[in-house]
Amino acid sequence: MRPPAESIGNLAVIVGAIALLIFVAVEGALVYVVWRYRASRTTTPALFEGHTRLEIAWTAIPALTLVVVFALMLGTLGEIGAALEPGMRVRAVGHQWWWEFTYGDVVTANEMHIPVGTAVEVDLLSADVNHSFWVPELGGKIDMIPGQTNHVRLLARRAGVYEGQCAEFCGVEHAWMRIRVVAEPADEFARWLAAQAAPAAAAATDGERVFMANTCVSCHAIRGTPATGRAGPDLTHVGARATIGAGVLPQSVADLREWLADPQRYKPGSLMPRVPLSGADLDAVAAYLAALR
Amino acid sequence: MTAVPLWVLRPGGSRAAGWLRTVDHKEIGVLYIGMGAAFFILGGLESLVIRAQLATPEAHLVDPELYDQLFTVHGVTMILLAVVPLLVGFANYLVPLMIGAPDVAYPRLNALSFWLSLVGGIVLYFSWIAGGAPDAGWFSYPPLAGRSFAPSPGVDYYILGLAVNGAGTIIGAINLTATILLMRAPGLRVSRLPLFVWMVLVTSILILGAYPALSAALVMLFVDRQLGGHFFDPTASGQPLLWQHLFWFFGHPEVYIMILPVMGMVSEIIPVFSAKPIFGYRFVAASSVAIAFLSFGVWAHHMFAVGLSAFETFFFAASSMLIAVPTGVKIFNWIATMVGGRIRLATPMLFAIGFIAMFIIGGLTGVSLAVVPLDLETTDTYFVVAHLHYVLFGGTMLGFFAGVYYWFPKMTGRLLSERLGRWHFWTTFVGLNVTFLPMHWVGIQGMARRMWTYAADTGWGPWNFVESLGAALLAVSMLVFAANLVRSIRAGAIAGDDPWDGFTLEWATTSPPPPENFRSLPAVTGRRPLWDAKHPDRRDAA
Repeated sequence: MRPPAESIGNLAVIVGAIALLIFVAVEGALVYVVWRYRASRTTTPALFEGHTRLEIAWTAIPALTLVVVFALMLGTLGEIGAALEPGMRVRAVGHQWWWEFTYGDVVTANEMHIPVGTAVEVDLLSADVNHSFWVPELGGKIDMIPGQTNHVRLLARRAGVYEGQCAEFCGVEHAWMRIRVVAEPADEFARWLAAQAAPAAAAATDGERVFMANTCVSCHAIRGTPATGRAGPDLTHVGARATIGAGVLPQSVADLREWLADPQRYKPGSLMPRVPLSGADLDAVAAYLAALR
Repeated sequence: MTAVPLWVLRPGGSRAAGWLRTVDHKEIGVLYIGMGAAFFILGGLESLVIRAQLATPEAHLVDPELYDQLFTVHGVTMILLAVVPLLVGFANYLVPLMIGAPDVAYPRLNALSFWLSLVGGIVLYFSWIAGGAPDAGWFSYPPLAGRSFAPSPGVDYYILGLAVNGAGTIIGAINLTATILLMRAPGLRVSRLPLFVWMVLVTSILILGAYPALSAALVMLFVDRQLGGHFFDPTASGQPLLWQHLFWFFGHPEVYIMILPVMGMVSEIIPVFSAKPIFGYRFVAASSVAIAFLSFGVWAHHMFAVGLSAFETFFFAASSMLIAVPTGVKIFNWIATMVGGRIRLATPMLFAIGFIAMFIIGGLTGVSLAVVPLDLETTDTYFVVAHLHYVLFGGTMLGFFAGVYYWFPKMTGRLLSERLGRWHFWTTFVGLNVTFLPMHWVGIQGMARRMWTYAADTGWGPWNFVESLGAALLAVSMLVFAANLVRSIRAGAIAGDDPWDGFTLEWATTSPPPPENFRSLPAVTGRRPLWDAKHPDRRDAA
């Protein structure tokens, strides 16, 4: 199995080389002709006005080149489409302006984990407007369009973090709709999935109390607690994710506190309002969320 | 011969009233050009704010709401309110002169189409002070452009402005088509038409095919937004993709509407400045007709990522590659025209050569966008932004400037300064490459278009900074151009009737031409009537 991104990369090199060749030849001819026939070198211009065989040649040669490019394209499309037998399925839903990822019963957000060497079929849906799921190093983008389900197949050959970005303009915070795909060895992935499947550990801290007593619960779910909102990202294991707000801030207690104090400062237009909490409550909620690992 | 300002030639009335009620194709042409220039300045200023915001990562110069309005209005402005009026203005001014006619076929209709186009633009800009400009992008995809996600009236102003502007453009296209088909001078067969006129004819027919699709889609969106319709509403069995199909059925021919007239200008300028007839006249004309037909069958290459069927994907990939062939034919013919010529590198020729050089880049990246797997990586990224600006700025605008330097003397009686013209050319040429070349690279790296900012850890900052420097240089180049226009209109060298040793009929009358255009016409027995008149011993074959 060859990862789609590698097939695309190979095609890009070949098509790029053909394009570069044409570029050099045509621009070179242009510059040469302008230099060769400049007025200071020529006195009487020639008077020919066409050559049918030449015209046929420079119609046919580009056309044949494009037939070759088309054939190469078909080959790559075949490779991407057929060679990947999906080993697992993930559901991805685009929201204004974050990603929801579902593995069976496990729901998480903005950070997607996949096992290295397994082809992953991602079902792409939208909860509101058009989005586009794109992780450049894993392959091409496919749009998420409300009312239909699209599909993309991902395959990572190497472990690591692959950065992506919503590619279809989806409203004011289109920019802060980043994707992190973490590719890890199968056993690590299995451990991650098992950890994600577990409900949040009971904390009984001040932070949990403040969270449950405020509007947080109307939008966010934390499995194992009374919080079951679905409008915003699932926070059951939010502390285990590397970023906050679909990539706008790194994950840490201090950054979580900054974010909770005023999400609009970092992500203006975000649907998360500023919840008026005291300084002590902010500290407590930030600590509670960071501990949800 | 002295230069006579246009307005002196019109009898009676004040100057302003004269402009308001004129039905003279030359004055309406100048009005169109003025409109295009004014909106070009506005669109340019919008792009400078965009580039200032993107110069550094995580900047807060503008908030995302304003940013979205800026790029939306920038796109609509440049495409529909600047480039199209500028080109229609030149067509209006030049077509009757080039075919030896006293005016267009329907002069009063001509005034109507201009005023509709202008009012459409004003309606769109009125949104800035009436609750916010449109902010869903120039192609305004629903559901984002629907009422649930765009509740402010911006998109409604977009709909009304574009519909009114489009009506003006459609009427203008009918007028130009009728003019070219019915009002040619005796002897000027279709097979002898100047190539600029050919391209205007093809463009007009493209407008007649493409703009109604946009008008229909706009009405449907208006019904959805204001009358509770569900054409594009997925929550009520509507189909958001229907908008994309309708929009791009207009949108792709629109690209050729914006480039073919410029290709026509270049096809006039290169032969004159090579002192040779165009190479392969029939092929240059026929390739435009081929482009026009094909351009109605390539629209879904804007939609490869929406989940098309395999058949649709192959069909639109093949048709989109195919359209590169007639485009290439033109480039080869222009270069062949220069072969064996005596090339004068005056400013019109400099810009025409720049046009070819830059259009090659936009054309090659365009072919890569027809190669579906590559398109899926690059569509909706800065790679596409780079591609379309190489076509529309490197292509259309450089070619348009060539036309300005070439025909300004005919319109005003005075030549533009060659010295300032060279400064204008080189600053534009360097500026556009510094601005747009790095965009290819950041796009491939992952920078999607229409992002109001980007994270510092992406590493896109340095290239974006360079792009913004390029934009500043482009602003300088436009100031040089403006200075050239202002100086030359008042104090430029007197041009005379035929400053470039031209081939076509517009150079056979005075500069500027009298209201009736011609006091006498040379006999037309070939494609270069004025050349034949000037060189009776070396006439073209009939």
